[in-house]
Amino acid sequence: MFGNKQSLYLLLSLACLAGYAWLIIHLYQEQTQQQARAFGTCLMKQTTGIPCPSCGSTRAIVALTQGNVSEAMLLNPLGFIIALVLIILPIWLGYDKLRNSESLYQFYRHTEKTLRQPKWAIPLSLLVILNWIWNIYKDV
Amino acid sequence: MDASKVDMFIMSNSKFFESYQLNSIRDRLVAMDDSKWVMISTQQYKDPTTSLIVSIIAGGLGIDRFMIGDTGLGIGKLLTCGGFGIWTIIDWFLIQGATREKNMQKLQQFL
Repeated sequence: MFGNKQSLYLLLSLACLAGYAWLIIHLYQEQTQQQARAFGTCLMKQTTGIPCPSCGSTRAIVALTQGNVSEAMLLNPLGFIIALVLIILPIWLGYDKLRNSESLYQFYRHTEKTLRQPKWAIPLSLLVILNWIWNIYKDV
Repeated sequence: MDASKVDMFIMSNSKFFESYQLNSIRDRLVAMDDSKWVMISTQQYKDPTTSLIVSIIAGGLGIDRFMIGDTGLGIGKLLTCGGFGIWTIIDWFLIQGATREKNMQKLQQFL
């Protein structure tokens, strides 16, 4: 479905925009944060009551923007990865657009291929599962 | 290639591909060299029904996308609680088509 370059770039741009919009809503409206905690945005947490592997990452990024690195680490370490992606992605997208190159697309394809190898896939999924267990344990 | 062989292939594998692709697959298989038959007939395809089941059960973690080989999208789904739950629901309807597209890409290597 996302086999060609254009659709991937469109999807990544939309995802980036959505991510920033989501972050801005949470940064400037404390109320939304409380509401989100009360109702829950995560489908899994709402239906089963168990937090998903990435629950708490929004709060982690909000904590990061306020300079609380240790708090972010305790909330969800995946927040660091998302924050990194949110910073790098727009720059890379803009670079590719200006230079008319497809370095991001090639990087994406290459990373997909690399991550599919067991030597990467197994440790990374183990890390995600460990993080998930930690998430459930601390009940984010 | 022998038409009866091709028809057998189409009959046993039709559920793995989109219906509109079947005619062109048949035409190209008939026109193809016999030596590739072994490779094509032993190719493993992903079942769209299985990916739908996985999508319903574990779609929020992106496992359906990982399974069909869309690792990048799988990570995206995993990191965003299944796209805030919206993408999870959208994928219940898209995943079967996506699986068939992936199968087609796999077959295309030999056509």
